[in-house]
Amino acid sequence: MDPDTAIGGPHGHFPSTQLSLLEAVTEGLPNDALNRVVALYWKPVYRFIRCKFGRDNEDAKDLTQSFFTAALQRDFFARFDPARASFRTYLRMAVERFAASQHEAAHRQKRGGDVTFEPIGEQAASTGTPEEIFEREWQRQLFALAIDDLRSHCDGCGKQLPFRVFEDYDLAEAERPSYAALAARHRIAETVVTNHLAWARRTLRAFVAERLRGVTAGEQEWRKEMRRAWS
Amino acid sequence: MELSDSVLDHLRHVAALPDLAGTRYELEREIGRGGLGVVYAARDRQLDRRVALKVLDSALDGEAQLIARLEHPGIVPIYEAGTLPDGRVFYTMKLVAGARLDAFAAAGPSLAERLRVIRRVGEVLAFAHARGTIHRDLKPENVMVGGFGEVYVMDWGVEAVAGTPAFRAPEPVLDSRSDIYALGAMLQFLLPASAPPALQAIAAKARNADPAARYPDAPALLADIERFQEGLAVEAWSEPLWHRLRRFGSRNAVLLWLLVAYAGVKLLLLLLRNL
Repeated sequence: MDPDTAIGGPHGHFPSTQLSLLEAVTEGLPNDALNRVVALYWKPVYRFIRCKFGRDNEDAKDLTQSFFTAALQRDFFARFDPARASFRTYLRMAVERFAASQHEAAHRQKRGGDVTFEPIGEQAASTGTPEEIFEREWQRQLFALAIDDLRSHCDGCGKQLPFRVFEDYDLAEAERPSYAALAARHRIAETVVTNHLAWARRTLRAFVAERLRGVTAGEQEWRKEMRRAWS
Repeated sequence: MELSDSVLDHLRHVAALPDLAGTRYELEREIGRGGLGVVYAARDRQLDRRVALKVLDSALDGEAQLIARLEHPGIVPIYEAGTLPDGRVFYTMKLVAGARLDAFAAAGPSLAERLRVIRRVGEVLAFAHARGTIHRDLKPENVMVGGFGEVYVMDWGVEAVAGTPAFRAPEPVLDSRSDIYALGAMLQFLLPASAPPALQAIAAKARNADPAARYPDAPALLADIERFQEGLAVEAWSEPLWHRLRRFGSRNAVLLWLLVAYAGVKLLLLLLRNL
């Protein structure tokens, strides 16, 4: 059997290779756990800081970087209790506390002068509370990473065509082409187009699940986060 | 890679849709989201009928087996269970045409009709409890009232489900008395503001924070509702004297009228004799 067909294939689901977040920490791999967390959460944290504290681009970047550096130094993972909140919530609240204390410190330094926050184009365009923006960015980054995984997977196993079909259809910014147009473009039958799309979506879902498994503490949290990713 | 909002929404939608290739089912549309997964309307091509197809969030599942063990007119029968190519478990069941209990209540049914629905739900619970199964997440959204008045209790819970706050009993470990609490909360939900105090008391007793102070089981709660409907005193409420007299009066109206008529005739005869 083509080993690739086992991934999301008809007789089995995507094999999980990721250790959960707490497994990675307890097995002495906090850096590995942090890498996964940073990959998924850097942008949501950055956007959250910008929206919540009105920081400019460079300040927000610095603060985000400082947060993750401090997280590794301060036993951040060991203090996470999955019974009390999801890791996503725990992290957002930690960012909020960290950024608020930094913000207060900066404010003290500038006391006596006018502290003004520059208007942010991005921020103005965003709708919702900083918490909602954080969650939206989390979803966006989660799918972006899963798409990268899917692309690498396709490149690695000669499935470039299914990825191109997926890219042309599901990642289309403007109006999506018809299946017939896609079939003509790639010189394949329409049924092959739908099969490629179904395979790519199934595999994308599996990569989303894998990414989430690596940043959650166990089955129950993973299931909840999976639900958050779709709903 | 930076995804726009529209692409992200599209991906979240299409990646969540179940891939039914290789099954006998054809997806129609999403019809609801429960504690454990999403329910779709689908068509069974082989038998040419519409079914409800529930896709659970992960491979872990106990719900289908749990429901399949419970054969009761108030529990939607399972047709088939299977696994999707991505590992998620799905099962198909009868597609119930009707309204969820919250929508049913919003349509303003009579008190008698509301009580009939609660009694049907209570009967289903009694049946399940007798077989050692508890629901764990009983709430109006999990009860369907069909077009012909049939009542179905859906979404039978498994360990992972935590319950819905307003209907969830306060105890940390749920048991059959936690379902009694939820049934009491549903009764309270269904009662209009002007509901008789006896019914309010029944709902309050079922929803007591102390499990030992609730009805011991569903039949005991149903018996109290039945007593109310028959005009008898209910276990949950020690009624004041004037209320007891009024209830006696309304239960024995004919007898009282006959007594009044008898007394009237006697009085008339007495007056005639003294003329």
